[in-house]
Amino acid sequence: MKKLLREFSKGIFIENPTFRLALGLCPTLAVSTSVINGFGMGVAATFVLLGSNIIVSAIRNFIPTKIRIPCFIVIIATFVTIVELMMKAYFPALSKSLGIFVPLIVVNCIVLGRAEAFASKHGISRSIFDAIGMGVGFTLALVLISAIRESLGNGTLLGLVIVRGFDPAILFILAPGALLVIGLLIGIVNYLTEK
Amino acid sequence: MNNLTVSPAPHITSGQTTQKIMFKVVLALLPAGLAGIYIFGLSSLRVILISIVSCVMSEAIFLKLRKRDPKAVLDGSALLTGLLLAYNLPPEIPFWLLVVGGCVSIVIGKQLFGGLGHNIFNPALVGRVFLHISWPLYMTTWKNPRWAVDAVSTATPLANEGARGFTYMDLFLGNHGGCIGEVCIAALLIGAAFLIFTKIISWHIPVSFMGTAMFLAWIFGGDGFFNGDFIFHLLAGGLVLGAFFMATDYVTRPLTKMGKIIFGIGCGVLTAVIRLNGSYPEGVSYAILFMNAMVPLIDRYTKTRKYGFVK
Amino acid sequence: MEFNQLLMIAISVIFINNFILSKFLGLCPFLGVSKKTAPAFYMGLAVTFVMTASSIITWAVYSFLLKPFHIEYLRTLSFILVIASFVQLIEMFIQKFSPALYRVFGIYLALITTNCAVFGVAVLNSEMFLKVSEDLVKALVFCAVQGFCAGVGFTMVLLFMSGIRERLELCDIPRPMKDMPIAFIVAALMSMAFMGFSGFRF
Repeated sequence: MKKLLREFSKGIFIENPTFRLALGLCPTLAVSTSVINGFGMGVAATFVLLGSNIIVSAIRNFIPTKIRIPCFIVIIATFVTIVELMMKAYFPALSKSLGIFVPLIVVNCIVLGRAEAFASKHGISRSIFDAIGMGVGFTLALVLISAIRESLGNGTLLGLVIVRGFDPAILFILAPGALLVIGLLIGIVNYLTEK
Repeated sequence: MNNLTVSPAPHITSGQTTQKIMFKVVLALLPAGLAGIYIFGLSSLRVILISIVSCVMSEAIFLKLRKRDPKAVLDGSALLTGLLLAYNLPPEIPFWLLVVGGCVSIVIGKQLFGGLGHNIFNPALVGRVFLHISWPLYMTTWKNPRWAVDAVSTATPLANEGARGFTYMDLFLGNHGGCIGEVCIAALLIGAAFLIFTKIISWHIPVSFMGTAMFLAWIFGGDGFFNGDFIFHLLAGGLVLGAFFMATDYVTRPLTKMGKIIFGIGCGVLTAVIRLNGSYPEGVSYAILFMNAMVPLIDRYTKTRKYGFVK
Repeated sequence: MEFNQLLMIAISVIFINNFILSKFLGLCPFLGVSKKTAPAFYMGLAVTFVMTASSIITWAVYSFLLKPFHIEYLRTLSFILVIASFVQLIEMFIQKFSPALYRVFGIYLALITTNCAVFGVAVLNSEMFLKVSEDLVKALVFCAVQGFCAGVGFTMVLLFMSGIRERLELCDIPRPMKDMPIAFIVAALMSMAFMGFSGFRF
């Protein structure tokens, strides 16, 4: 049990996919304009991660090593399609604002990276905890970045006005703001962990 | 003096130090500032002072945090950045915007790269463009010059090209709305002449920059081809300020003559394109910032060959 | 063919909606292969080629397979499979016939099998042109032009970045900001400069 918990917690701090490993940055930057979007993206990616980790781990002994990557891609793409269709059916507004970044989960390096580096080598239960840990770490990073960008760039948090009379800096919900925030955040994380 | 970029041979010592150069540029900028204060009133002086203080303070605090020699504040570069930033802002900009602008210029534009001599982009322009994208409303609220008859606040000449009504003399002397330092072309030219005369800057960047922008404005600026009002495009907006004082920044310009001309032409093309086709009326800051990103590549391909050296 | 429309697509995808600076696609190679100019250039060439080719291939898949059989929901799955196998095929082909070329491009091809920029341009094509357009040939030209120009924009930014990063090596950057964080800051400032083109029109 302790081992499983460690698999879970490493994804959140020590091996946080966004800040420590710098994986899956494309969607992180693109959809973090509001907390709702960031959270939706995080949950969608976690679902795909969980599904693909379970299946990959379950059939890891049957896949020939030579064609393992194409197999992983097919498995991931299947789960992405499921997410795409479900989101379109139940959360049409979210699906619209995330746009092409929902199908793009298929090329999110975190998902393929975990399938290759972890699930194809470990048992199902550990892979599940690994997936959830990584997914939660990714979601937390997304929520953090989108909270910063939404509050500075739009003056709101989850759509609610925080301080009245604050003039938001539009730059932060535009492209340069995303790059600026992630650069400074990684710098801060480096500074804190250096000590 | 280890903080200046090494230039290609021949190396000539000229007795210039960073401090001397910086203060000469500040001196050259004074006439334009005085003109701005005269035209728009004391609110311009307030903008200039707050901008300088916020830049110098940001620099001092950052140097302190990095445990570097705080004397570096006195090299005049933060002062110059603050001055240039203020010249690119409208006269009635709110207090806090200036503080943010100065802080962004110095910290993000310069100190994160390692301070003077290391920055890739012109710090004052980084601050200016940051403010322009973030708070477009404040950045495009202009004040009437002192001679204005009606109290209705005008836009800059570039923004309402359809309803011009400015004579070249108005534009040349600064009788129109605009940023503090860019409106009075006459004053800017005095400073520019001083800089070129004392060999602080060479003619390559300003001439190729303004020439290209005017040439393109002449071809594409009017109805149909070859009848655009290129004198208007030279005198209105920040072209003169940008070409003489911003694009020629020692750290963020190319080193060779050839490189400078390429740099100037690039700035000119982008300025004309943004003015004529973009949604922003003015493109000088964006053009220079864009070309700053290209400088390392320009330098690499315009290196002077070693004389008599066969590969 | 409307020349203006094509020019607008080109300018849009190179400057206004640059894949790296505004759509955040292809950040991994952008950060990974931008430390030196020569590899950055080869990477850019490889990406441009693959983007153009996969734009055309996915056009064929969408127009002749997905649309006639009404199985558009298989877009994600089919696109990624076709692109990945195409890249693999090219890699094998080059390895076989031109080992010299393979030594230059092989590693980059391997890296872009699952590059989000390549997949992104295919998805973007299908959203912008394939879903709406009835005219097959027109859609093909639009897709190919968008794919090619997206690659050109990618290469341009990659080259700028590599030049800047070579210079940054010599800079006294605060230690926590070294490497990736400062690369992001540079990208942010470049993205700010590119915003000058927003709202571009003829």
